[in-house]
Amino acid sequence: MTETNVVLKVEGLQKSFAGNKILDGVSFEIDRGQIKVICGPSGSGKSTLLRCLNLLTMPDKGRVWLEGREITNEESNANSVRQRIGFVFQEFNLFNHLTALKNVSIALEIVKKMGKDEAKALALKELEKVNLANDAHKYPAELSGGQKQRVAIARALAMNPVIMFYDEPTSALDPHLIGEVLDVMKKLAQEKLTSIVVTHEIGFARTVADEIMFMGEGRILEHGPPSQIIENPKHEAVKQFFRRINELYRRDEQ
Amino acid sequence: MTVELIIVSVPIGVALAIILGVARVYGNKAVSLVATSVVAVFRGFPAIVTLFIIFFALPDVGVYFSPYWSAVLGFVLVTGAYQSEYVRGCIQSVQAGQSLAAQALGMSKPQEVFHIILPQALRAALPGISNEIIYLILYSSLASYIGVQEIFGVARTFNSLNFRPIEIFLTAGLVYAAIATVCFLGFRLLERRFRIPGLGATR
Repeated sequence: MTETNVVLKVEGLQKSFAGNKILDGVSFEIDRGQIKVICGPSGSGKSTLLRCLNLLTMPDKGRVWLEGREITNEESNANSVRQRIGFVFQEFNLFNHLTALKNVSIALEIVKKMGKDEAKALALKELEKVNLANDAHKYPAELSGGQKQRVAIARALAMNPVIMFYDEPTSALDPHLIGEVLDVMKKLAQEKLTSIVVTHEIGFARTVADEIMFMGEGRILEHGPPSQIIENPKHEAVKQFFRRINELYRRDEQ
Repeated sequence: MTVELIIVSVPIGVALAIILGVARVYGNKAVSLVATSVVAVFRGFPAIVTLFIIFFALPDVGVYFSPYWSAVLGFVLVTGAYQSEYVRGCIQSVQAGQSLAAQALGMSKPQEVFHIILPQALRAALPGISNEIIYLILYSSLASYIGVQEIFGVARTFNSLNFRPIEIFLTAGLVYAAIATVCFLGFRLLERRFRIPGLGATR
């Protein structure tokens, strides 16, 4: 694997909030086209990790390279870094005063300086990809949670990012709406869009991820192919985590 | 004259309110301190005192304004200071996620404030702003004390000539009420025009 294939490289990332170590030395790399799933108990630093990687939160220590260029040094411009990283939030965070279409097109217009018509056409194309072309005129309050999250994915995709971050994209959804969002994400994974997905959807991780990284206490405790991490973890905390999730699913099936 | 005073003062006052509100939320320490002080002073002084300072006291330090422009300046400062509180509160009540999403798309802070935060905050602030503007219409009567011939001033002049206070002041009051009502209805239209499904106070 040549160096140019590495989309994102992370080295020794640390972050504390008010004396609490949230990230305690996280290092990994992700290659073009790879899908990595991050699992771990709440409070293990998953969201903080994603936010440090697109500089929504500044890490205390450690370095990050995006396509070979360091983004954690003084010269890097956070706004231009973020333009190249698609970010999907747990709470969707659609712009409440804008229609679905405008949610997707606004950054194209004001950040990418695209013409209005061009931005609109591209936005409509992205909404088609997530099966929402017919709802383009609706405001966020008129959409279901699943629809909102799909608009949010379209909004991130429209910027043509080199990598997508999903921060628990289905955790705020009613169970019957999770499927439509996961389907869109699976489709994107098949198109080999490099992604890091924080999720507890083990089914999704098993079928889509190239690798699972399990986080605990601010570190990556274990990482490897999904089958290995889910079926045969080595670390005690990882074992416990998946045992509990398996119990939950089995109880559901009964 | 009353209508003219208001038509000139309101847009400048609203603009000042937005600037003060934004400065207080997003400004650095110095900017926010200046904005906070301006608001504290002009919300603290009675409007009539502000007008008297501008018209009677400023000339002593070499700054002259006509009665009309003294009134406009005073009203702009007073209403701007009051309205800025609505603007500030509404900016701060826009969900944090809106700002995060804007940043995540690579928007700069000014782009975020202008395109994402203010359009939502100002919609929420509209009812409060319309309230302040109605106050402004009513205290525009104070301008008569620095020699602007607006409704109340004219009424007082008439009364001193005719001694018919009931008819004269009741009429003056009704004229203010009519202007206030027009303004109120105008803002209702404005709220409806900019209404967005599910967005807070404009529902």
